[in-house]
Amino acid sequence: MTAMDTGERRRTGEARPLITELIDETTVESVAQEAWISLVGEEELLVPLPGEPVTDPVSSWVDVVGPWTGSVVLTTGRRTAEELTRALLREHSPEVLEDEDVADAFGEIANVVGGNVKAALPGSSGLSLPDVGEAPAVRNPEDVCRADLLWRGQPISISVQGALPPLPAH
Amino acid sequence: MKILIADDSRVMRQIVIRTLRQAGFDGHEIVEAEDGADALAKVGSETPDLVLSDWNMPNMTGIECLQALRSSGSSVPFGFVTSEGSPEMREKAANAGALFLIAKPFNEDTFSEALSGVIA
Repeated sequence: MTAMDTGERRRTGEARPLITELIDETTVESVAQEAWISLVGEEELLVPLPGEPVTDPVSSWVDVVGPWTGSVVLTTGRRTAEELTRALLREHSPEVLEDEDVADAFGEIANVVGGNVKAALPGSSGLSLPDVGEAPAVRNPEDVCRADLLWRGQPISISVQGALPPLPAH
Repeated sequence: MKILIADDSRVMRQIVIRTLRQAGFDGHEIVEAEDGADALAKVGSETPDLVLSDWNMPNMTGIECLQALRSSGSSVPFGFVTSEGSPEMREKAANAGALFLIAKPFNEDTFSEALSGVIA
């Protein structure tokens, strides 16, 4: 007997998960907290509270490509990114920080947070090298899982955001 | 002993060196490499006793470096320190001849556990 093609399989194949179906804010916070303890310091806490809007923002991110495709984006103020860099470098922190140092340190935090967010997603995915600069645009507001945190009283957001626009409604 | 640390992030190389020290593995000679290709060249020129390498690096990844080393007949002890510690990557690392994979974020206990049988 020949199976009837109802088109359902093709429609199912077209469906792609939204990040909110795969991971929640608490998981993102917990991944970030572990990264902070390891990289920034054992006593360094992230408080899950939104802060004032960031002035002079800088972002670092990694891209995840797989069953879900998007970016894990950390955004904070430039001065906070510099403070984070000094915390990571500790005794090796230079008197004057170069942009390169901040890009390296803040990018590496995105790499560790992004690698662990990737590990929490189903299936096999690839991870890009970190990038630093102006955050990639949110393409689909429904495909975003965002954690707003405070570190030493300063706001840091972590946005796990899809790279693709919404599918057209049927 | 001489330990080669390969990571494209200078900050992460510092953190790995610091964590080695905190885990009690101090007094060793450290050589740094900034990507897999640099690590491959330095295994030849510096003859380290152990390589600790990131996975995801420009020019040549850590796994490509390990595969190139084994293809060229080098049996230098090699372990990964990487932000991706999925079972799939651990299997790939082991199949290529890695002794261990330390996932970031790590602490001195993770280092002690992975390295106690490797570093004299």
